[in-house]
Amino acid sequence: MTSKLTYMGVIGLTALSSVAATPAFAAGTTAGTTITNTATVDYQVGGVAQGQQSASNNFTVDRKINLLVEEVGTVTTNAVPGQTNAVTTFQLTNSSNEALDFALVASQIVGGTAAHGGTDTFDANNVRIYRDNIATGTIGSWDAGDALVTYIDELVTDTAIRLFVVADMPAGLANNAVAGVTLRATAREGALVGTQGAAITETTGANTAGKDTVFADTAGVTGDIARDASHSDNDDYTVQTATLAVTKTSRVISDPFNNITNPKLIPGAVVEYCIAVANSGSADATSVLINDPVPGQLTFNAGTILLNGTVTAGTCNADGAAGGSYAAPNVSGTIAAVAAGATRTLIFRATVN
Amino acid sequence: MRTALFLLVAAFVPGQALAANQVALDNNVFVERVSTDAAGKQRILLEEPKVVVPGDRLVFVLNYRNAGAQPADKFVITNPLPAAVRFADAGDARSLVSVDGGKQWGLLSDLTVPMTDGTRRAAQPADVTHIRWAFQKPIPVGGTGKLMFRGVVK
Repeated sequence: MTSKLTYMGVIGLTALSSVAATPAFAAGTTAGTTITNTATVDYQVGGVAQGQQSASNNFTVDRKINLLVEEVGTVTTNAVPGQTNAVTTFQLTNSSNEALDFALVASQIVGGTAAHGGTDTFDANNVRIYRDNIATGTIGSWDAGDALVTYIDELVTDTAIRLFVVADMPAGLANNAVAGVTLRATAREGALVGTQGAAITETTGANTAGKDTVFADTAGVTGDIARDASHSDNDDYTVQTATLAVTKTSRVISDPFNNITNPKLIPGAVVEYCIAVANSGSADATSVLINDPVPGQLTFNAGTILLNGTVTAGTCNADGAAGGSYAAPNVSGTIAAVAAGATRTLIFRATVN
Repeated sequence: MRTALFLLVAAFVPGQALAANQVALDNNVFVERVSTDAAGKQRILLEEPKVVVPGDRLVFVLNYRNAGAQPADKFVITNPLPAAVRFADAGDARSLVSVDGGKQWGLLSDLTVPMTDGTRRAAQPADVTHIRWAFQKPIPVGGTGKLMFRGVVK
């Protein structure tokens, strides 16, 4: 054989044992596309160019169903007890090589570890799914312009959309209580605009000459296996609430005989009360109203109320700003905010009768 | 004249018998599948292109034969890459490729591609638009051979 190339072709085929990593293609060639490969030969015989020969083959690209549901941000959604419309955010990507519909289901996790740690201890109420409207409102955030959906219609290939799972929190939840939610999307037949398409079945057994269907999705959360035309991800709500504790202390400021030097609690002595509100929760407590009835044996000293004072190592610093009010027998005042982890005080003085 | 003589051989049916002509060419495509057996050893199988999805690796195999009565000289086989196939590699490192639609030919390592800023970068397999084998010696009467290259479904 005179052609050395013949023999090199054979070497090329034996070199197949070196497998390169499969390149990453997102959606790729549209399903149903026919790929035709044509080779041509030009040659001469006896120095005269002969007619060109060509050879072709073709095959049809089948349908690859692949999708991805991902939580956006990988942080828990903080919510307060009783909050309506607490929002978790997901992204759905159609990585199939055909436009498809996607059925959506948002469900509650029952027990177990939630997506961002902590144990699922409660269920959110009124769980809904919204699709981000990228034409109006705040894009990427849930707002009134977003559409309540149960499926996604005709999502074109290689396209990601943002979805919001919106839920209401029950009242009376403890700080750091966790509710996990799962968003699962399942590919459905596209091509019928405005209607959720039929379920998709994978082509089993013998291949057909036309467009076949291959499921190529990866496994999602527990219970969502690979190659089932659906994908899922978890997110969770973590309750962030204020946990308030109130302590009340008093000290004698002066008496009519010793004045401020080692004063005793005798009639006429002035007593200072400190009401301390400590917030050990994770959220600020706002508009904290303190109400304290002055005992009948004491007379309130007008103009002595100090609000929003601080405590150092359990001792009132007797600081703060004048404020509050007295309506016999109650001293009251509102502290605008007690931050998470902080302690704020209301202080007043009264005289022993 | 050339157009009038244009013939499709083995069109659309991989593996069809070579047609009786001066030079016969047939063109096959296979899907390269890697399976891992219980022992963890990888096996490579070439399958007919029945189930093909984006990302699949393809092996194109060209068989040629000189069915004429005289040696065929200046023997050149040209294969434009289908638009939906990205070139991966050719079994024969000395095959010529084009990265500009068949205008210029050379070894992939010698070709460059213009950048938008006016500079040129080295050509990558993904840039290949055509592959060509130009034989130095005549194909004798009855001489046959096999050429191959690999691509990936875009």
